[in-house]
Amino acid sequence: MIRTYRASAGIMLAPAVTLIGVFILLPMLLTIWLSFQDWSTQTPFSSASFIGFDNFREIFGPTSVGRDFKRALLNTAIYTALSVMLILPLSVAFGLMVYQRDVAGGTALRTVLFSTYMVPMIAVTLVWSKLYSPSEGPLNQMLGLAGIGPQPWLSSPRSALISIVVLNVWQQIGYFTVLAVAGLTQIPGSLYEAATLDGANRHEQFRFITLPLLRRTLLFSAVIAIINAVQVFEPVALITQGGPVGSTNVLTYHIRRVGIERAQGGLGSAMAVMLMLALIVVVCALFAYANRKDDQ
Amino acid sequence: MSLAWISKLALAAGLLASPTLGWAQSVNISYLTHWSPETVALLDAAAKDYAKSNPDVTVTIRAVPFGDLLTTLRSQGGSSDGPTIGGIYDLWLPELARDKLVAPAPDTVAGEVKSAWPAGVVSAASVGATLYGIPNEIDVYALNYNKELFKRAGITAAPKTWSELKDAAQKLTRKDAGQQGFGMINSWAAGVVHPFASLLVSNGGELVKDGKPMLDSPQAGETFQLYEDLIKSGASDPAMATADANTTGPFLDNFVSGKTGMIIMANWWESALKSGMGDKFSNIATAPIPVGPSGDKPHSISYSWMTVVNANAGQAEQKAAWDFLAWLNSPKSGKNGASAMSDILMSMGILPTRTSDIEAHKDKLGSEFLSGYVSVLADAKPFPVVPGGQEFSESLQQTLEALQYGQLSAKDAQANAQADAVSILERAAK
Repeated sequence: MIRTYRASAGIMLAPAVTLIGVFILLPMLLTIWLSFQDWSTQTPFSSASFIGFDNFREIFGPTSVGRDFKRALLNTAIYTALSVMLILPLSVAFGLMVYQRDVAGGTALRTVLFSTYMVPMIAVTLVWSKLYSPSEGPLNQMLGLAGIGPQPWLSSPRSALISIVVLNVWQQIGYFTVLAVAGLTQIPGSLYEAATLDGANRHEQFRFITLPLLRRTLLFSAVIAIINAVQVFEPVALITQGGPVGSTNVLTYHIRRVGIERAQGGLGSAMAVMLMLALIVVVCALFAYANRKDDQ
Repeated sequence: MSLAWISKLALAAGLLASPTLGWAQSVNISYLTHWSPETVALLDAAAKDYAKSNPDVTVTIRAVPFGDLLTTLRSQGGSSDGPTIGGIYDLWLPELARDKLVAPAPDTVAGEVKSAWPAGVVSAASVGATLYGIPNEIDVYALNYNKELFKRAGITAAPKTWSELKDAAQKLTRKDAGQQGFGMINSWAAGVVHPFASLLVSNGGELVKDGKPMLDSPQAGETFQLYEDLIKSGASDPAMATADANTTGPFLDNFVSGKTGMIIMANWWESALKSGMGDKFSNIATAPIPVGPSGDKPHSISYSWMTVVNANAGQAEQKAAWDFLAWLNSPKSGKNGASAMSDILMSMGILPTRTSDIEAHKDKLGSEFLSGYVSVLADAKPFPVVPGGQEFSESLQQTLEALQYGQLSAKDAQANAQADAVSILERAAK
């Protein structure tokens, strides 16, 4: 009986497992294998030659290859951290605003917020590149009306990456607000009623009821926000080309440059493996932290 | 067999064969370029002209931003379905040929190119003795300046030396009006490296000699120092220098809006200046690159573009592509003895390279703007075309941008640039 059950379960799972194996696991394993090879992306896999950890030594070494990779890794980390740090609190704040059933226009506000997520990133990027224009950009013109001098935005290595983070947050905030609203709907209203009877003010209700019960939603939001942020590509490719001075050169863009433009497939694969490992470590750490909190 | 039966069989065979033959003869080829929509429309019109006499060949034009051109060629060129024809920058040729992405030109095309184009241009389209592309444009650099701003600053002539350049840049700088004297470019490898290289060769230096980087020379040191001086004096503002993927952006906006007094740029941006400035384009003049303290006379670096054919395309597609390119670049396809390609190039202010095209466009090449470029052609030094050239360019770009933003001193920038170049070119040569 159990054997029959196992066999039928195996048959039913086989298509999905095969698809995952072919389209996800195989490319991942291939990338890992290529990271130990000297290989040009323009040649067949058969031309790859094993070079051990040389690609990894190179990308962490002192030459321009290593410097550019480490800079791209750092830029990606900063971009991701800033994006998550802005998106999570803002999504909760907006979620609380649009969740108020007794406030008029809540649905309209929710629609407006989510609409930014429906606009393709390419269109968002083109519009924001004009908003940030140092000479004719509306942002600087508005600052000028307030008596503040023009800001360099994308033209300065100090502000270019942050400017792209702002663009990303603007585009993604609607989606994460919807997630926050979904989390808020799961919190029983009776808890707030009980807290009100106990004399808890709004701030205390938020701190001791809303936030703890939103933790699972926020964990999911954080993981998705991290994965989205790590994959940033369009604004860099279209507006800044990784500059100025490599300040917006993020890993996805850099891997494309190394792996495709320069055809250095082995080096590009080593960089992709490091990105994958970094992502796994960060997401696991996040889950471990959340589990520890749950245990407490 | 009766005559009626024979006729029926012949008719049936003919009906069966005709579509097969029709399919066999029709060829679809695609042409990948980075040109703007207006220029693509001209190329499209030329392809339609060609189709009139070659109805079985369909040429589809596809454009991508300059920043995506090499990536598109590399990612799609390995397949027979990739672009059949691609417009490429000569710096990319050695590696595209090494990776067998571009096909050698057939003997007839190679013979025609070798006899009708200047030898230097032919060599830039070749690897060893093998010709891979039909050259079309050549670009050189000159100092572009705004005559109106010069007049206001009391400057009567374009600077001829570096000390005059620094002096003029200082006089043209008006920080309160957001005006810089000398414009640099950043966030675009060629835009950063080519003006620097033009100043370097005008100071008697070289980027690469016999495959070895020469950035540790005293002449290169003086060029790095010139950049540092211009930045430190405030005559150049790096925040006004950024470029985007389409090689436009603030650096161009600031020049066309009269906020940059001088800039070193290539001839091809004439069309961008005209569309950005309208009537005010007449304020722009060109002059040779100012000569450095160790230089003898003005020089510019030059680079060329060519059209290549996908080595992985089918035989019929490759043949159709070479035939189309031979026609496009021949004196038969354009107006007044010029090639259709040269007419397209001249619409953008780009210098053609075929000897007969230069003759056919003599009048336009003598315009106030272009004559400044034509005059420096004879002394132009080709940008070094070596394996690893693109990576070398991008690395030097990073160093020069760090110098522009004050992250490196001239001395450190020179040391970094040389060390990086040595490691990149050595690795690429293996």
